[in-house]
Amino acid sequence: MRANILIILAAAGALAATAALAAEGKLVLYTSQPNTDAQQTIDAFKALYPKVEVSFVRDGTPRVMAKLRAEIEAGSPQADVLLIADSVTMEGLKQEGRLLAYDAADVSAYPAGIHDPQKMWFSTKLITTGIVYNNKAALKPTSWADLTKPEVKNLLAMPSPLNSGAALIHTMTLAGNLPGGWRYYEQLRDNGALAAGGNGDILRQVATGEKLYGMIVDFMPIREKAKGAPIEFVFPSEGVSAVGEPVAILKSTKNPEAAKAFVGFLISREGQALALRQGYVAAHPDVALPAGYPTRDAIKLMPFDAAQALAGEAAARKRFSAIFE
Amino acid sequence: MTLIARPGWRHDAPRPTWPGLRLPQRLPEGLGLPAAVTLTALLLGALPFLRLTIAALAPGWQFAPDAALEQIGSRAAVNATLHTLETAGFSALAALLIGGAVALALSVTDLRHKRPLAFFFVFSMMIAPQVAALAFLSLFAPHSPILGALGLSPAPGTPNPLLGRGGIILVMALHHAPLVAITLWTGLRSVPHSLVEAAQMEGAGPATIVARILLPVLRPQIIAAALIAFVAGIGNFGIPALLGLPVNYLTLPTLIYRRLASFGPAGLSDAAALSLLVALVAGGGILASVLATRRAGGKVEIERPLQPFWTLGRARRLVAGALWTLLALKLGLPFLALLCEALTPALGVALSWQSLTLDKFTEVLLRQDVTMRAFRNSFLFAGSAALLLALISIGFAYALERRMGRFRRVVELVIELPYALPGVVLAIACILLFLKPLPLLGVSLYATPFIILFAYLARFLPLALKAPVAAMAQIEAHHEEAAKLDGASLWQMLRFIVAPILAPAATVSALMVFLVAFNELTVSALLWSSGTETLGVVLFSLKEAGLAGEAAAVAISASTIIFAVMLGLDLCGKRLPDNVLPWRI
Repeated sequence: MRANILIILAAAGALAATAALAAEGKLVLYTSQPNTDAQQTIDAFKALYPKVEVSFVRDGTPRVMAKLRAEIEAGSPQADVLLIADSVTMEGLKQEGRLLAYDAADVSAYPAGIHDPQKMWFSTKLITTGIVYNNKAALKPTSWADLTKPEVKNLLAMPSPLNSGAALIHTMTLAGNLPGGWRYYEQLRDNGALAAGGNGDILRQVATGEKLYGMIVDFMPIREKAKGAPIEFVFPSEGVSAVGEPVAILKSTKNPEAAKAFVGFLISREGQALALRQGYVAAHPDVALPAGYPTRDAIKLMPFDAAQALAGEAAARKRFSAIFE
Repeated sequence: MTLIARPGWRHDAPRPTWPGLRLPQRLPEGLGLPAAVTLTALLLGALPFLRLTIAALAPGWQFAPDAALEQIGSRAAVNATLHTLETAGFSALAALLIGGAVALALSVTDLRHKRPLAFFFVFSMMIAPQVAALAFLSLFAPHSPILGALGLSPAPGTPNPLLGRGGIILVMALHHAPLVAITLWTGLRSVPHSLVEAAQMEGAGPATIVARILLPVLRPQIIAAALIAFVAGIGNFGIPALLGLPVNYLTLPTLIYRRLASFGPAGLSDAAALSLLVALVAGGGILASVLATRRAGGKVEIERPLQPFWTLGRARRLVAGALWTLLALKLGLPFLALLCEALTPALGVALSWQSLTLDKFTEVLLRQDVTMRAFRNSFLFAGSAALLLALISIGFAYALERRMGRFRRVVELVIELPYALPGVVLAIACILLFLKPLPLLGVSLYATPFIILFAYLARFLPLALKAPVAAMAQIEAHHEEAAKLDGASLWQMLRFIVAPILAPAATVSALMVFLVAFNELTVSALLWSSGTETLGVVLFSLKEAGLAGEAAAVAISASTIIFAVMLGLDLCGKRLPDNVLPWRI
């Protein structure tokens, strides 16, 4: 096993070395990763490809897209590579013909269904949304249903799908899988739940004790807990929603070589190992999970259909704001 | 201040030697300046607004106002309008009381340590509004170490008392109070001391002098100050975004931002319609100020400016204590809370000597290229905007006060538009204007630093004009008329007579522009692209990504820079002309 990994690493290194000769120049990344993670990703990539100069733009997925859409309208999209929360947005871009297929991408190690079959976008991680609670909370929630209980009244915060790509998928997944459907969200509203801001806001509110419960992406509370924050993260019993933090190359890229090198790096074994070091569940099935997570098979994922979601995206946002605004 | 026309140009400038040519030379000059001012106003103020109006009322260049009207009449818009009016209105009143009291205390009494008091009071406003809001939020959070130390920790799960209407009004009032004070200080400098002396000879006490003489004389400035605070409140984004959005208490700017952030360009026509509504609301405020401050009398020539005349005696300590307490509440405690947040290893961890860490500072100041670049960018954008506007404002002040006649009000309204509109709306207007390559030139400003610079120029022009226009209004026209008669050209007259007189006011305005633009968020939030991120953008982005400690570290570092710049200016204040620094009273 160990020898195998060494061989893979050596092969990857050799590949990287040949590609590094070709890849140079400027590369602009639009991402919804937290700044520190984006910087680390770029630093790790630049260690392999020193001739590529990478700069990044970071914002919540909806706002990254708002910026990109405006630039597309102007006829000069700035981004070469897009690394955002959800595949629904990627699916939309693909259908508009804005993505570049990376046919040579090596995805042999991944199970089918993770990446786009036409190799236009690739999942890099598995980011689930579950429940975070403050250690001072009386009730230790184990299921989504627990959040409608009286103990949670006025103490729950969740990110708004209007601010976060992961929250949009999460909302659509829960509404599609929980027995009550959208009724669940109406119950949450009646229980005084707050829906506003992005995942970072939820982390702050629950960790500081302004709210005691929250819906949130997994890596933020797990990392923050490791640093000593008084919080716990729960994978609810009904299952969790998941996004793949997909990466894609825009067809309008001015530097396809460097863009391919970047995407190749993210889905390579090294790129996936970096995701692990950053505290994410890597998309690669053989990469171990970071500390603080249950095993891969213990995480129950709720089913989700990206194509169907694309059709219902706008309606879901409107429905959500009608309930909470 | 004694206004003596500097005769320098008489020696330097060659006088026209051919009188026959004077008339044809002057006529285009007489129209040239107003035309230039009008054109600039149209370019900076009207054009973005026009583009937005078209986007709202005639999407796709077909007149179809139904969608916009429906949007304006929607429940969300009506609520947001009410929220905007009440937060801006009440906070402006409170700011007027706080700022007015501070301005008077520091101007007319024999209080000690006025300079540091004024300095810190002004400094508290230079901190970005979103930082102020974040600091107050940290201060009142259930885990706050400061509340804990005072034994006031609320129960876990207690909603932050600052969230919602009350908090917004409080933080906005505190934040805008120095704005009021600065405006009043400028006014107080123009009051001749002889007025006070005359009243004292009649036996009037200091309270009577303030109530019966100073306040009536200052009426235009008081109304202007209140309206400045009101309009600033309408356009403020950072405070309602941090204190209102989490509890779905939306004002018009945050409602527009939410529409845009979630629907992208698709939400543009909705946002444009809502922005028309904001323009209407803010336009009402501006119109009121134009009517209220319409000058009735002539100009006052000042031989000796106002001196402190109120001997407090025993009350001096009490007043000083009250002012320092105000500063501690407004600046000290929130800043301390922010510092705690930046020094703890993780959110919600109690700060102790064992847990204390400088990681957040090293991360944002040494590891992340973005943060360092943001410091540099903000410095460049704010600096160039301030410099350009200071130069422009002199010509504008002269033209508005002397050459525009009745047309002046129209031009002023046009100029005020981008300042009154929320920054997000101006940003969207700029995107619409500059997305496509410019006609004739074929270059696109989008995704370059120039789009941000343009937006800053448009947005902060009214701010840059305030002091020079006020100063211009105080100047007797006879200096310029004398120069005219002597055959000075318009340029010579501006350069050698108007500019030296207006320089202090223009410098004050430029400083204000710099300090406000340095921390600016709402305009750059949508206009930045890779390589042009500003401090406000980085700060907001860090906070949104769950890196509140890092955000606090950036906020503290940025505030330190502002503090250092102000301190540096203060130290060389003696070499600067009188009254240049707003906190030097």
